[in-house]
Order: sequence, then C-alpha cells, then structure tokens
Amino acid sequence: MDKIRFSTKIGLGTSLIVLLAAVLLTFTFSVLGTRILVDESKKHGRVQAENLALRAVDPILSADFLQLKDLVDAVRNVGSNVVYSFVQDEAGNVLAHTFSNGFPVDLLKANILPPDQKLSIRLLNNGQILIYDFAVPVRIGQSRIGTVRLGLSRTDIQQTINELLHPVLGVSLATLIVAVFLGSLFASRITRRINDLRAHAEALVTGDLMAQAAPKPTANCWEILNCKLEECAAYGDDTRPCWHTAGTRSKMRNGTTSCSRCPVYLTNSGDEIQDLAETFDYLALTLRLHLEELYEAEKAMARQQELLRTVLDSTPDHVCLLDRQGTILALNRAYAEFLGLSPTEAVGKPEETLLPEGDPLNDRSMLEVMFRSGRIVNREVQVVRNNRRLWLHVIRVPVRGASGNITSVLRTTRDITELKSYQVQLIQSQKMESLGTMAGGVAHEINTPLGIILGYAQLLLEDLPDGNPMRDDLRIIEKQTQVCKRIVAGLLDFSRQGESEMQGMCFNNSIMEVITLIRHPFELERVYIVTDLDDRMPVINGNPEQLKQVWVNLFTNARDAMPGGGVIHVRSRLMRDDGIVQLCIADTGTGISPGDITQIFDPFFSTKGVDEGTGLGLSISFGIIESHGGSIVVDSPVPLEDYPQKPADQDDIDYGPGTLFTVRLPLDCSGDDLESL
Amino acid sequence: MRFKVIYFMWALLLLPLSFWGCSNEEDSIRVDFSKRAEMTVPVQKDAITYAYLPQYSHAISYGRHKLLIEYLSKATGMAFRQVYPNTFDEHVEMVKRGEIDISFSNPLIYLRLAKLGARAFARIVEPSGKPTFSGEIICRADSPIKTLLDCRGKRWIAVDRSSAGGFLYPLGMFLENGVTPKDFSDIEFAPGPGGKQEKVVLAVFAGAFDVGSIRQGTLDLLKDKIDLDRIRVLQRTRPYPSWVYSHRKGFSEEQAKRIAGAMFALDIRRPDDAVILNTAGMRGIIPAKDEDYDPVRRLVDRIREQDGGLMP
Repeated sequence: MDKIRFSTKIGLGTSLIVLLAAVLLTFTFSVLGTRILVDESKKHGRVQAENLALRAVDPILSADFLQLKDLVDAVRNVGSNVVYSFVQDEAGNVLAHTFSNGFPVDLLKANILPPDQKLSIRLLNNGQILIYDFAVPVRIGQSRIGTVRLGLSRTDIQQTINELLHPVLGVSLATLIVAVFLGSLFASRITRRINDLRAHAEALVTGDLMAQAAPKPTANCWEILNCKLEECAAYGDDTRPCWHTAGTRSKMRNGTTSCSRCPVYLTNSGDEIQDLAETFDYLALTLRLHLEELYEAEKAMARQQELLRTVLDSTPDHVCLLDRQGTILALNRAYAEFLGLSPTEAVGKPEETLLPEGDPLNDRSMLEVMFRSGRIVNREVQVVRNNRRLWLHVIRVPVRGASGNITSVLRTTRDITELKSYQVQLIQSQKMESLGTMAGGVAHEINTPLGIILGYAQLLLEDLPDGNPMRDDLRIIEKQTQVCKRIVAGLLDFSRQGESEMQGMCFNNSIMEVITLIRHPFELERVYIVTDLDDRMPVINGNPEQLKQVWVNLFTNARDAMPGGGVIHVRSRLMRDDGIVQLCIADTGTGISPGDITQIFDPFFSTKGVDEGTGLGLSISFGIIESHGGSIVVDSPVPLEDYPQKPADQDDIDYGPGTLFTVRLPLDCSGDDLESL
Repeated sequence: MRFKVIYFMWALLLLPLSFWGCSNEEDSIRVDFSKRAEMTVPVQKDAITYAYLPQYSHAISYGRHKLLIEYLSKATGMAFRQVYPNTFDEHVEMVKRGEIDISFSNPLIYLRLAKLGARAFARIVEPSGKPTFSGEIICRADSPIKTLLDCRGKRWIAVDRSSAGGFLYPLGMFLENGVTPKDFSDIEFAPGPGGKQEKVVLAVFAGAFDVGSIRQGTLDLLKDKIDLDRIRVLQRTRPYPSWVYSHRKGFSEEQAKRIAGAMFALDIRRPDDAVILNTAGMRGIIPAKDEDYDPVRRLVDRIREQDGGLMP
C-alpha cells in the first residue's frame, strides 16, 4: 500500500468514494423506488379494484352479465399491467372474467377475502410472472353482494423499475468516469506540487539552501500597507511573505496581533501546500543563517586555534601535554623539532621512547605524583644536550577536565642557561665588589708604609754619593715602590667610586683635553686620532677628572691594540630626545676574541703582558661610567658603518677588525646650558 | 487502523445488499393457471320476484328494500328475490312477461301495470305520515318567478315522463292554471338512470333551468349537499295516493294475501319494524284497492287531452 504512488492513491480513493456513492445511491434508489412503485401499484390496483367493485354493484344486482363483462374487460384493457379481473357473486360464483379459454380454477382459492375485510392483497406466481392479486368486496351499505378480483403484474412493475434504474445506473457510471478523470487531474495537480516540495527538500538535503519552493508573494507588504519602515526585516524582501520574517511575525504594524485578518496575509496566503512550501523556505533560510553563523564560528575558532598554535610554535620553550601514561597528547613545534619529529608524528607516542634514557624529563614517577597530588611542580634541572650542559626550568601544570578530574599534565620547559650565567656573573660582581672594598682597605693601609718606604729610599739616595753601588739598588727600590704606589692608587680609585665630585662640565672639552695631551705621543707610534664631535657642545653632570681617566684608559687600550699603528675614530653625538650624549671610540686594532669580550670589564683581566697592565683599567672605567648613571659597551669587530676611515697617507698600516667602545652618559638637565643646546 | 478503514468500506458496500434482501422478502403463492374450467352461473332458485320501480339506482333500491324482503321471506316463509329493471319501461315489460311478481311502483306506472292485469293490494304511508304525496314546482330563491304564470317562456326540467310527482302532477297543475307545455321555452327530463329527482334539483340550483318539478320530500334528501335556502318551492300540487304494491296478473291470490298480511303487520312503533320501514322510506303499509288510483287515472286522461303527446 505504501509503495503505491500518492497520485494513484488519491485517484483510487476518489474513484472508490464515487463508486461507493454510486452503488449506495443506485441500490438505495432501487430499493426505495421499488418500494414506492410497488406501494403505488398496490394503491393503484386497490383503487382499480374498488372502482370496479363500485361499478359492479348495479350489474350484479340486475344480473347484467354483459355489463359485468364489459366492466372487467375495460379494467383489463385500461390498465396495461392488469393481468386479469373477475367478479364473483355473494356465493363466490364467477359472474364475469377476462380469461379466455376457461377460468383458472385455482385462482379462486388463492386469495379468499374473509368477511368484514375491505381488502386482501396476495402475491401470486403463475410460473411465468408474479402477480399482485387484489380482492375487494362489492358492498351495498354493510351488505356484501360479491367480490371483485384484480390481478396486477408484479413483473411489469419490476420492468418499470428497471427502466427507471437504467438511467440512474448510466448517470452513476458517467459520474464515476468523470470522477475518475477529475480525481486523476486533481491528484496529479496535488502531487505535482508535493513533488515540487520533495524536490525542494532533496535540494535542501544536498545543500542547495537557496532553492525557492513557494511562489513569490503576489504583492509586497510595504506596497499593500504603504509602509515606509525601511529598517523592518521584511522591507524589500520580495522572496518570502512578511509573516515568515523574524521581527514582523509576532506584532503587526497596524496593531493587530494576528496575521489572519491582515490584508497582506489575505492577499498572499495560499493553501496548506503553499504554507508548507513557505515553511520549507523559512526552514532553508534559518538553516542557511545558522550554517553561516556556524561557518563564521568555525572560522573564528580556526583562527583562534591558529593563533594559539602560532603562539605555542613561536615560543622557544618546549611545551607538551601528557596523559597519565606519558603519551604525548599535544606538543609545540620547538619541542617536536627537539625530538626530531613533526608535531603530527609525535602525537600519540609515549614520551619515554623519544627521550634518552636517564633524561631528567623522562620521569614517569613525577607524572604519577602530579596526577595524585594535583599540585603545580616547578623545577630547575641540568641536562646535557648536543654535548652542551644546559639549565632547564621545567613547570608541570595539571590540567583538569570538565568533571574536575585531572586528565593530563602540561609541561613547559625553558632553557635558562643564559639566565644562569647572568646569575653567576651577578655572584661574581658581588664578589668583586667585596674584593674592591677589601682591596681599597688594604691599599689604604699599604699606602702609608709605601710612602714611608719611598721617602726613606729617596732619603738614602740623597745621602749616598754618586757612584755608590747602593744607589742602583735604592733606585730599583724607589722605582718598584712607585709601581706599588700606582697600583695602590689604582686600587684606591677603583674603591673610591661613590666619592667622586660631580659638576656641570662640557663633554667635548673633556675629550679634547685628553686628545690634545695624547695626540702627539700617539702619532709617534703611528696611531692617529680622528675626531667627529658634536658641535652643539653637550653639557653633562660629571666628575671631569674621573671621566678624563676613562678617556685615557680607552685611548690607551686602543693604542695598545694597534702595535703597528692605526686610526682611532672619536665621535660624539647629542641625542637630545633620549636625554643622553653618546661617545663612540673605534680603533682598527686586532679586536677582542668572543671568549674574552665578556670578561674585559672584569678586574685584573688583561690580555697584555705581565708588566704591561694592571688589568684594572676597564674595570675602573666601567665603575666610573656606572657611577655617572651611564653605560659602556664593547663591540668587536667594529660594525661596518662605524669603522674608521683610513687616512690617505696610512696605506702601509695593517687594519684589524677593530674594537668599538660606546659610552652613553645622561645629559645634565639641571642647568640653563641644556636650554642653550 | 488501515484494516478498520477497509472493513468500514466493505460494510458500506454491503449495506445496499441488505436493502436488496428486504425488497425480495415478499412471499408469493404458486397458482397453476393452466387448470381451466368454463364458469357457469347457477340457476336462480324459484322465488317470488320483487321489484322496486327504478327511480333510484339499483344499489339504493337494494339497500332500501333488502330488509323488507328479508322480513317478508321470514314472515311468509316464502322465498323472495329482488330484481332490478333498469328503466320504468323495462319494469313494465318485466311485469308483462311475468318476471316481476310484486311491483312497488308509483301510481302512474301502476296505471300501466293495471292495464296489464296487475292489481293493487297495498300502498304505503309516506314519511310525512300520510298515504298520499304531492309534486313540487321549484325555482331558485333569487328567481323573478313568483306565480305559475310567470313560468311561461321559461325552461322546465322534469324527472321523467313516467314520473308522477316529478312530472305528471306538476303538469296537471300547470294545465289547471292555464300554462301548457307549449308555453315553456324548453322542457327537458333528467338524464337517467337513477338519481333523477336529485338531478332536477341540482339543475335548477345550478341555474341550467328556470323551474323544476320534483316529488315531495326530494329536497330533504339533498339537505347535506346544497344550501336549500337558495331553492324556493313555487307551488305544491294537490296530494295524490302514494306508491302502490301490486301483484302481476296470474299471481297466487293466496300468496298475495300472505304477503299483504305480513306487510300490514309492520308497525312503525315497533323498533324492529321501524328499522325496516325507515330503511324502505315509508312509515307503514296499508291496504289499497285499484279504485284508490282513479284520481290519477282521471288526471292522466285530462293531461292526455291537453299535453300534446308529452305523456307516454
């Protein structure tokens, strides 16, 4: 039944209903018609019989057989379906009848009319036809003088009924044919629209959400209502009726709460199938909007994910998510690269198979502790990677699921080797500071005995005559004592950093004073100083003597780095926006090796010969600059843009990579001089 | 659910068949029409024939005299049979042929029967209580006719040429008052047989005729059929002897006496007799002689002289 096409079902249903109606009508008509006709025929027969009985009175009384015969014959002839009629006298003798060839004697007993009864009707069957036999008394007053019998053909009545039924059957058949035709037409029309709907639904299923099932509204709501409300959701939307548009559906603009009386609804609404089609369209629209929202959300999520992935992948830290068994659930690119795998390859693998045995990170027991305790664990471990000893900061954070249970552990590993080295340096600095203080104290204590030794040595020299061999010894003592005094003075300078006297001073003058002093001796050693000083004459707040010592130190070091001669390029720049003045001293010397460059400001660090330097120069310079609130940094080799120009007459000198010292000092912001700048 | 629908549809389809069944439930009786026989009316038993002059239909004749005949049969111990001549003339002919033994006729017919040898032996007491009756000339109540003389030039409908009260007596009265049949613009007789008296009244009532002549007492018969106020009795004739019983010539005198005796024994005061007498339209039966009808004979003679052949 379910496999039959819908149109066939409708057609069959319509035909069945009409057939049923036709059958019902025909049978009802047949039955009722038969009854009515039979009843009418009975009445007719009775009237005829009674009429005959009335008219037979006189002939019976006068024994006028001819008249009686005429009467019965007349009745027989007038009624086409009258089979016979005859008249009996009081005693039952047949006085006249319509039969030829004798009277059928059995007929007399077939319908005997009892006394005092006005009518008796019997259905007789003579073997050929059915006959209604009417027996009516012939009366005068209360006296019965005879009986009239009349036979009416029941078969003829049936014939009449059949003649009536034929057109009824014909009409029923014609109605059936018309109904089948119209039903099929109707069914095909209905199913065509349903098929359209089905096609639309299939289009929806296949993703075509733009398909339109319902016809466009015949007239637009804003035209019917003469509405100018352009911000209304339905305004300008001519593809669907306004009652399917959110925002206009619940509340009508003209005040009514129901669409059913709205002229727009009355104009555009259709039958149930159109309603269904419109609902389909509305469904498709809603679906489309939801899908677009979903798509947008998906894109946003992907973007977020990408961002998160980028953040994770950009960090040099090793990040990974582990489950209780130590399987990698997720990891960032840095860690994947460290493991030598792509991120996708690494996911799902047990971490212990990827890390070397004995690696401090390869710690299953720690995972177990994490899952049990639920606490964040923060550790620093030392590992060997690529034959390098590294310090790692490992943070393990338990990650809880929606139920609150720990589902995984996020482990972040950061390389803090550099930080560790800074810590070492800091410790070293602190140690040096303590050493400086102690050296200052020692120097101060030694300075006095040294002065006494020097004084006595000089007194002895004065006392000894020239040519005394003792004089040479005394001179050695004097010289070495003076060396000691210089060392002590250096140590005192190194330890006397906080005691400098600050004053406003011209930065350029401070430099030029030193250059003027050293230019000549330097040129004797083929070291040439080229100056490029900022002509805006920057003023700083500083100790002139200390700063001169710094410049002398830097120039001396530059000269020492150029034993074959070279160029020292001195450049000062006022950087007013930053509030500093910058001095760059670049040489063309041998430069500093990368291993030494981090230690050159350390006290007593020297690459020179034993007698050539104390190793305190740069340490003292560093201390002075820092006490001025400035900074000093070193670069070697010299960056290309800062490399000194080679003088035209110095072609025979070999130029090394060079060293660049950059000193930055804060400007003096207290005085009017700054304003003049 | 689907099966229920199918069952319901089958039930609807089968419903008409139940009607079909109902229509054929009438049982028929098998009758063999092939057994045929010629019918013969049994021979009439020997009985005294009694006839009522057919001034009314046979049914009325039968109805009026049935009880009387039954009474006579019982009272005399003789068999009686009422016969029904269709016309007055046939009545006379049947008496002449001896087919009617006892005649109950009007005086005029009796005169004809008497000529054939019949003899009167009894006459009735009319419902009026008298052994006589009159004829009446009637017209419409709104008619301009006031006297018999006004009837000249009018149309006259009478009962029958052989009718005593309905024609002969009024004709006699017209003649006595100087109105001859020729004075009427038209003279018609009521169409027969039967009900002729009533037809005269209805013809005048309808305006088809200006005047009508009827037997006394006829108007009472029509009181339920028409408004009698619209009929006026212009004049009534003198009374003549009432209807007469006579026996035919050659009828046994002894039997005639027994019959007469039984008739005379009827008494209106006895309930049983009263039913018989009232049904027959009389209040009693008294002895009569042929001479009682001489006034009528004379009237007839006189009319024959003047009527110009109207009398039979």
